[in-house]
Amino acid sequence: MAVPLSQMFTVTKYVLTQKLKGVKRYPLVLMLEPLFRCNLACAGCGKIQYPDHVLDKRLTPEQCWGAAEECGAPIVSIPGGEPLIHPEMATIVKGLIAQRRYVYLCTNAILLERKLDEYPPSKFLTFSVHMDGLRDEHDLAVCRDGVYDVAVRAIKAALQRGHRVTTNTTLFDDANPERVRQFFDEMMALGVEGMMISPGYSYQKAPDQQHFLKRERTRELFSRILGKPKPGWQFNQSPLFLDFLMGRREYQCTPWGNPTYNVFGWQKPCYLLQEGYAKTFRELIETTAWNDYGTERNEKCADCMVHCGYEASAVEDTFGTLSGFSRTVKLTLSPTSR
Amino acid sequence: MTDIKQHSPAPQPASLHGRVFTPHSAADLAEAIELAFDYRGDVTISVRTGEVICGYLFNREVSTGRSWVEVFPASHPDARRVYYDEVATIAFTGEDTANGKSWDAWVTKKESERKREAAEVTSQAQARGHL
Repeated sequence: MAVPLSQMFTVTKYVLTQKLKGVKRYPLVLMLEPLFRCNLACAGCGKIQYPDHVLDKRLTPEQCWGAAEECGAPIVSIPGGEPLIHPEMATIVKGLIAQRRYVYLCTNAILLERKLDEYPPSKFLTFSVHMDGLRDEHDLAVCRDGVYDVAVRAIKAALQRGHRVTTNTTLFDDANPERVRQFFDEMMALGVEGMMISPGYSYQKAPDQQHFLKRERTRELFSRILGKPKPGWQFNQSPLFLDFLMGRREYQCTPWGNPTYNVFGWQKPCYLLQEGYAKTFRELIETTAWNDYGTERNEKCADCMVHCGYEASAVEDTFGTLSGFSRTVKLTLSPTSR
Repeated sequence: MTDIKQHSPAPQPASLHGRVFTPHSAADLAEAIELAFDYRGDVTISVRTGEVICGYLFNREVSTGRSWVEVFPASHPDARRVYYDEVATIAFTGEDTANGKSWDAWVTKKESERKREAAEVTSQAQARGHL
């Protein structure tokens, strides 16, 4: 089982509490971006394309803790930029753990081995290492040779110290399914707790037919990758989200499920689109025109099948429908039954 | 997952770097502000009082009251609010940090050019103490 029972219990309790309270829009994962500065410059990465004075801005620990308290999500994902560049990252993580939140620190792992002493192992902390494929594919994706080997060394070191480690992988249409399956084997052989995968987000103004084909291609790719899963593969994400990627379930986006807070404020409407910023989480929830976003509602969303929009939809399906719940239980207990 | 790559093969629009907009109507102003909001570089806003604000325009709100933009000035840590009706001109003065940085542009570059750029990024990160 890729996700520890205590974490499953926390998320289950949280979702059921929101449902009992009648909360229509609740966050599951806070996407906390304490900085945009990175020590890589992956081509096309929209998160790092800012002037230097913006890249030099940092959220303070107090701002990070306040954002987590304000939105109340049980899980905090810390992407960036590269979080380990932030000089107060260990303090930020410590404070979030003190709030008993499950923290996923997303890192390219270049600095991880050097910084491990600053992070005591905890069931609340997971290093989610960015790995976009086997050595050739990963080094090409991050536009620097040698990064794959550094990341593998850091994963081994973190595991040796008793840390929870997962990988996160973004796949595009040009991915080779067989190579991706080999990559899964390699990551599981390292001993990681689980893997997280998502299609990349690419938006271009194109006729609807092209959008449809794009989604079809994404489904085909993930069906080829995830069909006949190997017994050793573990995924640190909702099994229904993987069903969705394979075209076996249809979802609408849940953009408020993974709200994003960064140096600009609360990002409207989601982690990927930047339509403006709210000062508070409440303002984000109350003033965003949520019905304007999602597949078939907005051209910018037409191709999107990304985890930050649809994983929360999958979780909602688990707790909101009998078929979703039974399928989740089945795939959790027997992942190869897919 | 930290990366959002623009793998689109579509041609990237030409950069606005160097352009100056002097809006003559509310519609012109709204259009110029939308362009500035999407721009990944600093802009210089000349305010009707004669003040000049150079920075990154990261937010805007169109309202039935006074619409506004928010700017992180390049030389000051705190965000600054400027109302639409105060704006005289908007110049796209800072480098467009997104221009030519698509995935497609990267893979079509020559191997030697990619290596040179990668070395440059590495050296900058080292200089900042981030490696």
